[in-house]
Amino acid sequence: MTRMGMAVAALAGILISGYMLLYKLGVISTLVCGTGSCELVQASPWSDFLGVPVPLWGVAGYGLIFVTSLIGIQPGRAGDKRIALVLLVAATFAFAFSAWLSWIEEYRIQAWCRWCIASAIVATLLFGLSLAEVRVLRREPDNA
Amino acid sequence: MAQKNRAQASRGPDLKVFYGVLAVVAIAGIGWIAYSVANQGSAAAVAPIELTGIQDVDSLLAQARGVIDGDAEAPVQVMVFSDFTCPGCRSFAGLVEPQLKQDFVTTGNVRFIYYDFPLGGTGHRHGFIAARAARCAGDQDSFWEYHDVLFGRQGEWPFAPDVPLDELTDYAAMLNLDRAEFGSCLRSDKYADIVTANRILGQRLGVGSTPTVFIGGRSVPNPFDYDAVKAAIEAALGGA
Repeated sequence: MTRMGMAVAALAGILISGYMLLYKLGVISTLVCGTGSCELVQASPWSDFLGVPVPLWGVAGYGLIFVTSLIGIQPGRAGDKRIALVLLVAATFAFAFSAWLSWIEEYRIQAWCRWCIASAIVATLLFGLSLAEVRVLRREPDNA
Repeated sequence: MAQKNRAQASRGPDLKVFYGVLAVVAIAGIGWIAYSVANQGSAAAVAPIELTGIQDVDSLLAQARGVIDGDAEAPVQVMVFSDFTCPGCRSFAGLVEPQLKQDFVTTGNVRFIYYDFPLGGTGHRHGFIAARAARCAGDQDSFWEYHDVLFGRQGEWPFAPDVPLDELTDYAAMLNLDRAEFGSCLRSDKYADIVTANRILGQRLGVGSTPTVFIGGRSVPNPFDYDAVKAAIEAALGGA
C-alpha cells in the first residue's frame, strides 16, 4: 500500500518538475498560478545544480522512485530488499535536496515558488512513506 | 511466511483500482501542462527571465539599470523601486514624485532613478510587461510620460484577463509614439533582462514591498509622507 502511495506521489512530482522544466526550457513562458516568485527562483543562479537544471533533477529523481515503486508492487516483490533500499535512499535524497532548495529560497533568493513548495511537500510525503521500507530491510530472509 | 505474504497481498488494494488512480493523475497532470503550453499567447516576455553572471553584486549592478531623471552629477541619489500595478506606487507617483522633482531634481540637487520591481502574483501579474512597455516607450524618449499614463489608468489594464498587449500599445499611441516600433518592442523579450536584474537588485537591497525609496542609500520608512522624504533629502544634502 505504501509503495502505491509512493508511485502516485512520485507521478505528481514528475508532473510538477516537468512543468517547471518546460518553463525553464522556454516552452512555457508564464507559470500558471504564479502568485509566488517562481520566475525569480527559476532565474536565480541556484536554478541549476551541477550544470543540470534543478527541474530535470526532479524529473529524474521522481521518475526513479515512480518506476521502482511500480516494480515493487508487482506480485512477489513485496520483500525485495533491493527495491526497498532504492526507494529509501532515493526518497531520503529527494527530501534532503528539497530541504536544501527550500533553505536557498528562504535565505539566498529570499523568494518562494509555489510549485517548488508543492514539490517539497511531495518529497516529504515520499520520505515519510519510504520509512516503511526500513521494515523490509530489517526482515529476515524468507526461505519459503 | 509465503502464505502470509499471499494473504496480505490478497487483502491489499486491487491493482486495477491503483492503475486507475494513476491514470487519472497522469491524465489530469498532462492535460494541465498541455493547456499551459497551448495558451502561450504572444512571444512577449511577461515574466522575469533567467540571467547568467549575476552571482556577485558588481555583475548584477552592471545588468540592473534604472531610468534616470535629473543631473548625473547631482549630490543625492533617490532610488525608487516600483511596480506599475501597485496602488501605493501610483500614490507615490502622483503625490510625492512631482513635488520631489520640482523641489530637488529641477534644481540639480537630486538624481531620481526609477527601478522596476514587478511584484508578480494576483493583481500584479501584468507588472512585468508593463515595466517592459515603459522601457519600450523610453526608446522613443517617453518613459516618464508613459509612466504617468500607466499609473493614471491603473484601474484598467492590470485586471485584464490576458496579457494587455493591445491596451499597452494603445497607451503608446495616445502619446503619439510610433505604434509599430512600440509594438515590435513590446512583443519581444527586449528589456526582460534589465527588468529582471532590477527586481533581483531590489531583493538584494531588501526591498519587500513597493514603493520602496532609498535616499542617499537609506530606505525611507514612509515614502508617502512628502515632509519625511524632503527631510531625508535635506539631511543627505547636508551630509553630501
